Amino acid sequence: MNVQKQNHSSEQQEQILKDQKKQRKASYQNLMLSVSSILLFFFIWEMVALLKLVPEHYLAPPEAIFRLLIIKIHDPNPDGAVLTVNILSSLQISFTGFIAAILIGVPLGWLMGWYRVVDSVVNPIFDIVRPIPPVAWIPLTIVWMGVGLKAKATIVFLSAFIPCVINSYTGIRQTNPVLIHVGKTCGASDFTIFWKIGIPSAMTMTFTGIKLAIGNAWSTLVAAEMLAASSGLGYMILQGRNFGRTDIVMLGVLAIGIIGTIIITLFSHLENVVLRWKRK
Amino acid sequence: MKIMTVKKRERHKNTFYQILSVASVLGLIGLWIYISSTSRFPTPGDIWERMIKMFQYPIKGKNIFGHLLASLQRVMIALSFCWTFGLAFGILLGWNQKCRAFLEPLFSAFRAVPPLAWIPLITLWFGIGEFPKILIVIMGGLPPIVVNTQAGIANVQQLYLDVGTIFHANRRQMLFQIALPSALDAVLAGIKNSMSSAWVVVLAAEMLGGKSGVGFLISRGMDSMDMPLILLAMIAIGSVSALFAIALNTIERIACPWLLKKK
Repeated sequence: MNVQKQNHSSEQQEQILKDQKKQRKASYQNLMLSVSSILLFFFIWEMVALLKLVPEHYLAPPEAIFRLLIIKIHDPNPDGAVLTVNILSSLQISFTGFIAAILIGVPLGWLMGWYRVVDSVVNPIFDIVRPIPPVAWIPLTIVWMGVGLKAKATIVFLSAFIPCVINSYTGIRQTNPVLIHVGKTCGASDFTIFWKIGIPSAMTMTFTGIKLAIGNAWSTLVAAEMLAASSGLGYMILQGRNFGRTDIVMLGVLAIGIIGTIIITLFSHLENVVLRWKRK
Repeated sequence: MKIMTVKKRERHKNTFYQILSVASVLGLIGLWIYISSTSRFPTPGDIWERMIKMFQYPIKGKNIFGHLLASLQRVMIALSFCWTFGLAFGILLGWNQKCRAFLEPLFSAFRAVPPLAWIPLITLWFGIGEFPKILIVIMGGLPPIVVNTQAGIANVQQLYLDVGTIFHANRRQMLFQIALPSALDAVLAGIKNSMSSAWVVVLAAEMLGGKSGVGFLISRGMDSMDMPLILLAMIAIGSVSALFAIALNTIERIACPWLLKKK
């Protein structure tokens, strides 16, 4: 690269510098646009609330929600639990279901993609279960397991399980046949090829599935809690609606959005760390 | 001679795996019948009878197909909006840097909240009529299509665009004749995702407050412990969304046949 740069004439160098400057200017402009759009959003929200364009019990101004956040950390009213308890109970449910989905779904997808016996036994059943939305399982899980952690975690599990299976299945199906042939030529057994070649090359797709699964797990959790719960963010939102407290509902929606974003960002970083060997 | 035997063995193997598939489905049904005969879980016959009963005594004036139609109507209205508006919005975000910088932060903030979490807020604002339900379904179906369209348009291979530049294509031609066709598979994947997400959301919306629809049937069955009704509704939902998936896959195969070769 350096050698190439030296070979450029001074004119070309100037052009390159100009282009870089232009690019930097454009990215600076874009950043400013992003910031201004967020500021504009808050400004409009504040103005609508301040000028009472909408009645106050329909839309709480941003600072009221912030104040509520501070109050809600130590005050269990009106839904019976403080914010941190709600968050922890939601996290507990979603992670229980999500981890179970990874532990069962990912190996199942790999096995289905590699061994035709497993594929032909499991795939038809999977095809029957897949089109039914996880939300529709709620009554059945309540009948089978009551309304405790197990029932809610099962619903989360069902929603996270499907992307795990599908993605690890497709991932291992797309293993480069050349690599498999190399393994065969070197005398590896079918299981060794599956373990040493198939699974590592399916890792990227598997991680895509896991990321989809965590998103699904978090959004289904809300539904599970709305229908049957005594604490949790979804429950808090629903109670807020029942009491007509828009601020509680909005706080809950914001908390869900922010925590979901944090979890997904963490997983993207984890993916980068785990799959570092994949990128050059 | 040897090739013949190999082929024969291959055929035998295929039949074996097909029989295995059929056996696993039969096993599932057998398990169901076994469980229902030993406990209070309804048998397949119970569900059939429940459906017949629904024709004689409709719930809220609708039989199972009426409720399915009500849900379908909501999904279709919402999706037709999602597909037109979402496509346009996705193209805007993918094609114009400035628009993207301005709108993307807001859009990703909106996307971070699961559509189901909007339901209470929407019902507080707009009540529990038909419009809020459709609005929630729109919120569920919009993100997948926007994200996929944007990614498809933004990731058009530079080579294609350079060819366009060589042939003196203007921006409009570049968009409609190069970028859009090459983003078609991503857009179709988005349409498929938005479809399944819309189904989930419409169910949840109807379960939380409604007078018609399959979700309403489920929550009705839950309230009155009417297990056959719940299972009937689940089967109805499953079959309709499976049919939709098949239809969309067929459309995909017709619209972008080059995808088949890739697989």
